[in-house]
Amino acid sequence: MITLNTDNNRETVLDLANLSAEQTALEVKNLDLYYGSKQALFDVSMKVPKGQVTAFIGPSGCGKSTLLRCINRMNDLVDICRIEGEIQLHGQNIYDKSVDVAALRRNVGMVFQRPNPFPKSIYENVVYGLRLQGIKDRRVLDEAVERSLRGAALWDEVKDRLHENAFGLSGGQQQRLVIARAIAIEPEVLLLDEPTSALDPISTLTIEELINDLKSRYTVVIVTHNMQQAARVSDQTAFMYMGNLIEYADTNTLFTTPSEKQTEDYITGRYG
Amino acid sequence: MDKLNISKHISGQFNAELDHVRNQIMAMGGLVEEQLKDAIHLLNKADHDLIEKVIETDGKVNGFEVQIDEECTRIIAKRQPAASDLRVVMAIIKTIADLERIGDAAEKIARMVQRQNDKHNSSLASLEHLGLRATAMLREVLDAFARMDVDLAFKVHRADKKVDKEYERFIREQMTYMMEDPRSIPQILDAISVARDLERVGDRCQNIAEYVIYFVRGKDVRHLGRDEIKELL
Repeated sequence: MITLNTDNNRETVLDLANLSAEQTALEVKNLDLYYGSKQALFDVSMKVPKGQVTAFIGPSGCGKSTLLRCINRMNDLVDICRIEGEIQLHGQNIYDKSVDVAALRRNVGMVFQRPNPFPKSIYENVVYGLRLQGIKDRRVLDEAVERSLRGAALWDEVKDRLHENAFGLSGGQQQRLVIARAIAIEPEVLLLDEPTSALDPISTLTIEELINDLKSRYTVVIVTHNMQQAARVSDQTAFMYMGNLIEYADTNTLFTTPSEKQTEDYITGRYG
Repeated sequence: MDKLNISKHISGQFNAELDHVRNQIMAMGGLVEEQLKDAIHLLNKADHDLIEKVIETDGKVNGFEVQIDEECTRIIAKRQPAASDLRVVMAIIKTIADLERIGDAAEKIARMVQRQNDKHNSSLASLEHLGLRATAMLREVLDAFARMDVDLAFKVHRADKKVDKEYERFIREQMTYMMEDPRSIPQILDAISVARDLERVGDRCQNIAEYVIYFVRGKDVRHLGRDEIKELL
């Protein structure tokens, strides 16, 4: 079923500043991030609504990928990275000492710019996370493979060659396989870091269509260099510039009548 | 002048395209303004050369409409304009439709004068003032468009009320004439049809004023009352 996202259903536009706890998937609170002595994020605060697609846009180096990586603590892997402030998932700060990072990442899946399937069969790629969790029951795994591949709109294309090597797939198929791998473990939040920048236009459209389907089950946060893509797939858009969150609004508003001049200049391709 | 930084795109080609389409719409507006002025002139005095000129101009105006439409379509397809760029393009597409209809109104007046075969129609002649009001509105709204002047656009928006009032007064007046002298009815019906067209010119100028406010401020003021608009601005 295709539902049109038009301005007619204005009541569905969320008041982003005052989301209730049930509507909120994630809350970023006064987040500062430093790489060594260089500050990369400045006091970022925002609420990401549940079951919707939120896009981060901005020029290279504006901090959008950095912010995305904070959401599943990928920045922990960078030694010189220091974080102040909070990111709350279910009201709990994910940077709290008691948080199990592996459990967090099961809840917050991530897909990167380049498709990175493991050098294994399609089937093994999808069940990788489940096997790590110690699930051995063949029936459970089979079910998860079909459900995830269907969820990633890849099932029909690969159902007859599940045990072939994943590297035999095209780039677009590999990317959807990676998404299937991410949703196999049923995360709540799916982070997509420029998921289509290495893909051709048709594969890009397939992924965009998929993102639209995914939001019925997951909260999706996407970083993209392609503004038109942000305009097409997202419900909310956040514009970042030099580590600051400049404007965060529903996508229809941001792309037709942005309130900040910097946003306007960026989305219309002007120099400030 | 360049309040919306139209010529500040990183892509020089995009600047050139937007500039060109904006120049085109000004040229089209100038042509329609002259056409309407000529048509108003004809209300008082049939001049065969002028009639020809007004009718001929309509072909040019139509050509402009098609050409500007094509250019806007191309810009949307190739540049995917956003925010103020998108609003400018949308405003242009809508404005040319209204300009073209104003041109049609001028042509219609010219043809009517042509049909009357030099017979003086005093009812028609008394429409000159209403015609001048409508022409002034058109001139001002085109200025507002060129200068992106929201205040001027709002002024034009309010001026439509005066045109409407004058139109109503004209109709009342002509009704008494028709009752006094039924033989004048055919002539008066012609004049009423022209009056209606001129009143519509005012409405169309008001529409264009709304598009100007929309593309400069990003506020859609259609179907709002005067005070509501004032508050928004």
